[in-house]
Amino acid sequence: MTRKRERLEVIKDVLESVRANRKIKPTRLLYASNLSPQMFKEYISELIEKEFIKLEIDDDKKSAKQEKRFFVLTKKGFEFLQEYKIIEGFVQNFGL
Amino acid sequence: MIELLLENKELIKIIYALAIMFICAFIVLKTDRLFQLSLHRGIRYFRNAFFFYGVGFFIRYILSPYLPNYFFIFSLFEFFLVTAGFFLLYSLLWKNFEDPNKKSTSSLFNPKIFIFYLMSAVIVLLDYFWQTYYFLFLSQIIIFLIVGAISYSKYLQDKVKHKFMKQYSFAMMLSLSAWVLNALASFWFSWNLLAIIIVYLLNIIIFLLFLYGVLKFTRQR
Repeated sequence: MTRKRERLEVIKDVLESVRANRKIKPTRLLYASNLSPQMFKEYISELIEKEFIKLEIDDDKKSAKQEKRFFVLTKKGFEFLQEYKIIEGFVQNFGL
Repeated sequence: MIELLLENKELIKIIYALAIMFICAFIVLKTDRLFQLSLHRGIRYFRNAFFFYGVGFFIRYILSPYLPNYFFIFSLFEFFLVTAGFFLLYSLLWKNFEDPNKKSTSSLFNPKIFIFYLMSAVIVLLDYFWQTYYFLFLSQIIIFLIVGAISYSKYLQDKVKHKFMKQYSFAMMLSLSAWVLNALASFWFSWNLLAIIIVYLLNIIIFLLFLYGVLKFTRQR
């Protein structure tokens, strides 16, 4: 049985997906995050609120059918990923 | 030697309090960034514990000359000390009572934490009305016995065997010993100076162990 991911781990996974793709469409991020649409929505609002990611609109897209919105990682998001190991180590070593 | 210690009793108390307050402030400030980035509730309760210890020591040893009466000061000190112990305990147990995937609410003003405030207030009132320290010592001995047992069982269950977890449970056992010695000094040795100095030293070692852990695991790689 697979272990349920903790909140911090989910955030790390979502941010890593954004970083790996440089910019990623919401639908692709939903699949990559492995979350239910409802949970995805909640996490994304939180990440935008915390300024870890931001939504960018690409005006170059020719057809209206093509998705114009992308998520990109912010400086704060990069910092979180860099410090994730430290946070994880701290939490595990203190049993928190 | 004993005479020298007796002559400088007040100075020793102030140095001791300043050392503990400095360590607590350092722990709270050093973990701020980790908390701000992660909003991890365990880190928050852990920080609250040291914030309460720091405030308690500040009231008892630094602010006391400016406050009206001894029992009022000691009651405030006791309240912060007992609540800090509860926060330390809850930092290890919070996942059993809260959903880690839900967004957190205030860590100081929520119904679960009010139970701690209420329990601390009851302990303080019992000691106040009986004019004793019995309930403070008893509560702290029980808390650190539980915290020690939980942290050690977490270490045993930990598959990666994080080394510091063992040191953490050792620090909790030291805290337990310090509280037992404190109780003995109070009830059997009528506040024997040597026993009190051993308690001070033990407490400084315990807080330094926490500080060592915080510095070790907040260092940038």
